[in-house]
Amino acid sequence: MSFTIIAETNGDTLHPTTYQLIGAASSVGSKSIVICPNGRAASEASEINGVEKVISVVGDCFDIFDGGAWSAALNSVCEGKILISASPNGREIAARLAAKRGIPVIQDIVSISEGLTVERPIYSGKAVETLTISGDAVITLRPNAFDAAESGGNAPINTVNQSADIKISIQEAINKASERLDVTEADIIISGGRGMGSIDNFTHLENIADIVGAAVGASRAVVDEWGMPHRMQVGQTGKTVTPSLYIAVGISGAIQHLAGMRSSKYILAINKDPDAPIFGVADYGIVATWEEAIPALKSALSALES
Amino acid sequence: MNIAVLLKQVPDTTAKIIISEGKVDENSVSKWSMSPYDEYALESGLQMKDANNGLLIAITCGPDRSKKMLTDAAAVGADTLIHISDEGVKDSTHTQQLLAAVIKKFDANVILCGKQAADTNGGSTGPGVAEILDAACVTLVSEVSFTDGKYITMRPSNNGTEKVSVDGISVFAFDKGTTELRRPNVRGIMMAKKKAIESMTSADLGVDLSSSNVTLDSQTPPPEKAAGQKFDGAEHVPTVVSKLRNEANVI
Amino acid sequence: MITMAYEALDFYDVDSLLSEEERMVRDMVRDWVDEEVIPNIENACREGVFPDEWRVALGEMGVLGAPLKGYGCPGLSYTAYGVICRELERGDSGLRSFASVQGSLAMYPIWDFGSEEQKNYYLPKMASGEWIGCFGLTEPDYGSNPGDMITKAEDKGDHYLLNGAKMWITNGTIAEVAVVWAKLDGVIRGFIVEKNDPGFSAPEMKGKHSLKASVTSELVFQDCKIPKDRMLPGVKGLRGPFSCLNNARFGISWGALGSAQACFDSAKDYAMSRIQFNHPIASYQLVQNKLAWMLREITKGQLLAYHLGQKKDAGVWIPEHISLAKMNNVDIALEIARVARDIHGANGILDEYPIMRHMANLESVKTYEGTHDIHNLIIGRHITGIQAFTREA
Repeated sequence: MSFTIIAETNGDTLHPTTYQLIGAASSVGSKSIVICPNGRAASEASEINGVEKVISVVGDCFDIFDGGAWSAALNSVCEGKILISASPNGREIAARLAAKRGIPVIQDIVSISEGLTVERPIYSGKAVETLTISGDAVITLRPNAFDAAESGGNAPINTVNQSADIKISIQEAINKASERLDVTEADIIISGGRGMGSIDNFTHLENIADIVGAAVGASRAVVDEWGMPHRMQVGQTGKTVTPSLYIAVGISGAIQHLAGMRSSKYILAINKDPDAPIFGVADYGIVATWEEAIPALKSALSALES
Repeated sequence: MNIAVLLKQVPDTTAKIIISEGKVDENSVSKWSMSPYDEYALESGLQMKDANNGLLIAITCGPDRSKKMLTDAAAVGADTLIHISDEGVKDSTHTQQLLAAVIKKFDANVILCGKQAADTNGGSTGPGVAEILDAACVTLVSEVSFTDGKYITMRPSNNGTEKVSVDGISVFAFDKGTTELRRPNVRGIMMAKKKAIESMTSADLGVDLSSSNVTLDSQTPPPEKAAGQKFDGAEHVPTVVSKLRNEANVI
Repeated sequence: MITMAYEALDFYDVDSLLSEEERMVRDMVRDWVDEEVIPNIENACREGVFPDEWRVALGEMGVLGAPLKGYGCPGLSYTAYGVICRELERGDSGLRSFASVQGSLAMYPIWDFGSEEQKNYYLPKMASGEWIGCFGLTEPDYGSNPGDMITKAEDKGDHYLLNGAKMWITNGTIAEVAVVWAKLDGVIRGFIVEKNDPGFSAPEMKGKHSLKASVTSELVFQDCKIPKDRMLPGVKGLRGPFSCLNNARFGISWGALGSAQACFDSAKDYAMSRIQFNHPIASYQLVQNKLAWMLREITKGQLLAYHLGQKKDAGVWIPEHISLAKMNNVDIALEIARVARDIHGANGILDEYPIMRHMANLESVKTYEGTHDIHNLIIGRHITGIQAFTREA
C-alpha cells in the first residue's frame, strides 16, 4: 500500500514535516510516493527511508502560491490516500484536492494507526475526535506530532510537466519588521515579574519571544513600578489570556496574576524561589535565577528552530 | 455586487465542552456564538456592501438553533438570510456542496468566510467551496476590498504581508481581520427581528448527500495532563524544552 | 473577540423567558460593557469622571429612553429597559444612573407631560445622547419629603423666574437640559431649564465615596429667567415627579441585580482560586453557605424583576409593585456586596476587584429614588390603608 505525500519545502530543502509525513505512512505499514511541487528537493526526498518513488511536478504555476493552481497541477499524479502537512498552504491544497476528487478531507491529525484510524483535536483542544477512514481521503498532519523517517533510501525520480491557471496576482510585497504580537493574540507568551530585576532585563525575554513568535507580558508590579505599558499586563486588572504556552519568569504567582493566566494550556515557571506559588499551577517548573535559565532557554529554543 | 458570507454557529469559545457517551454533549453548551473568524468575514462583507451598494447574503448550514445567528447578522446589516438544514450532512464535503449550491443560486460575485470554524478547527470549507465553484481562493486574509473591477486583499507572506488581487469570482477566508465586527444598535435589532429567514434542505438544492468514507468513532476528552514537574537548576532547561515539544506539543 | 465572556448567574433560567429582541439587546449591551466599561471603570472611579465616550456609545447603541415610543426614541419593552439597566449596572451603578436619569427622569417627563413642540425639540437629541438631561426634584432640606419643596417659580408675564436650589442631581454639571420641579403659586409644576439660561448654575458636588464615576451636582437658581414655553403643560402636583421616579425605580430593580451578579461572580471565582490551609476556600462550609445564600437571593430577585417587567408591559401595575422590587433587590444587592467583600478577604479592599466599588455604590442606590425605609412605608400603607410617613393625619 502506498500513500501519496505532497512534499513541503523550505527554499530548496525539505521541511522537517515532510520527513514526518513519510514516517507516519511507514508507521501504518505504508510506503510513500512523494510529489515535489516544481521538483524542489526531489533528490533529498528520494533518499528518505520508506519512499517508493518521487514525482517532480514542474510548472510555472508554482512560482507563487495559488492553492487552486497548485492543487490542479498536482492532482494528476495523486492517488489513493494523500498526506499533506497541516501548514496553512498544505491545508488549502488538501481541501481543494479533496473537493476536486470528491473524497473527504481530514485536517490536522495528531495520530494515525492501522485501520485507518486517526485522531484530531477539536474545540481548540478541549476534545479529541477519533475517525476511521475506509476509502480514499486527503489527510493533513499536525507538524511535530509524528516521528520523522530517517535518511537511507534510494528511490527513482520521475519528472512530469504540469502547470495550471493562476487566478491571483501579487501586487505588492510589504516587508515589515515583524511586530511583536499582543498578549491577547499570541499562542505563546513569555511574561516577566519583579524577579527580572529591572525593566532593561526584559530585552532578554523579548529575544526569546522573537525566536518562537511569542508575545511578551508583564505582572502588575512591573507595570506599576517600572512603567511597562499597561497593555502588557496579565492579571486581575490586566488581560486574561489563554495561550497554549505561558512562560512565567520571576513571577511569584499571586492570586491576581493567576487570575489572568490560569487557563493557559501549559505553564512553564522559572523562579529562584522553590516555594513560589506559581509552581503550584505550573506544568513544568525550573527553580533557577533568570540569569541562568534564560540564556539556556534561548539556546535550547534556537536549537529547535533550526 | 452580491456578497455571500458563510457563517457557522459554534459553542462560544469560552463555553465548557462536556463529553458524554463518546460524544460532545451539545445540550450542555451554555452559549452559542458566531465563529470568531466568521465575524471578521462578516465585517468585511458589510464594508464592501456599504462601499459598493451591494447585497449581503448571510448563509449558514446547521441545525435550527443556528437561525438565531442569522438574525444577529441581520442586526448589523445582512440583507438576505439563508439557512440550510444540516440534516444528512456527514462531513465537510457535504457542507461545501450545500453552500456552493446556495452561492450559485444567489449569483454571488464574492464569498467571504472565516479561515476555520472554532469547533472543528478544519479550515476546509473556504477552499473546498472555491474548488466546487471553480473560483479563486485566498486564505488567511485580513481585509478585502473591491477597486477597478478587482478584489484586493492582504495575506501574510514570508517577510510580512502581501497585497494580492483577484479578477473574477473568489473565496476569501479570514484570519484576524483589520476591523472588529461592528456592534448592532437597537434599530438594527428591531429591524432584524422582522427579517425572514429562508430555510432550505439538501433536497431543495438538488444536492445528493452520498455516504462518506469517514466514520466518527468517538469524541473524547483530551488526554489528562501529567502532574506538574519541577526541576532544580538551569541545567534542566534543555530537558524541559524537549518536553514542551514532545510531551506538550506546544512549540 | 473577548477571551473570557461573562456567564451571568441565572439559576432558574429566567433569561430564557426574554423575547428574542430583549435577548439581542441584552447581548449588545453586555458585550459593550465587557469591552469598554469593565477595563476602564476603576480608572474612571479613581479620577471621579464619567467618560464622555460612554455617553456617545449609549447614544449609538440606541438605548437611551428605552421604553419611550416615537420622537426618535427606541420604543422597546419595559422588560428590555430592565435588561439594559441590569447589564449596565453589572459594570457600574454610576453608569446605570446616567442612563436612568437620562431616560426615566429627563426624557420621560417631556415625553409624557410635554407639548408637541417640546417633544420634537428635545427628545430626538436626548435619545441620540447629544444632549444630556437631569432631574431636579430633591433639595438640600427636602429629600424624602419632596412635597414641601421651596424652589419657587414666579409668572412674570413674558417669562418665569426660578429661585431655589436642588441637590444630589446626577448629570447636573454636564447636562444641557434640566427638568426642574418647582412650585408655581403653591402647585408643583415641571420646567425645562437649559444650561445657558441666565441665573442657572450647576456646580459639581465633590468628595463622594460612592458613584464616583457619575457626576453629581447642585442646581442653583438665582433669579433664573426661562421663556414661557418651558413649562410642562401636562401635569400638576407630585404626580409628575412620582411618575418619573416609578420608571426609574423599575429600572433600578433590575439594575441592582447586575451589581449583585458581578459581586457573586467575583466572589465565586475568588473562592475557587484562593488556597488557604491547602484547599480552595470554596471547599469550606461557611464560604459555601455565603455563596448559596447569594444565589438564593439573586434568583428570587430575578423572578421579582422579570414578573414586574411583564406587569409593566401589560399595563397592570401599581406603584407599590415597583416599590417592592426596588427595595428588595437593592437591599439584597448591598448585602451580597458586603458578603462578597468578606469572601475576598483583604484583596476585596483593593480596586483590583470590583467589590467595594459596588458596595459603596449600592449605599447610594439604597438611598436614592426613595430610601429603603420609605418604600417599606409605601407598602405598609398599602397593606393597612394607614400612612405612617408623618405625624400629621
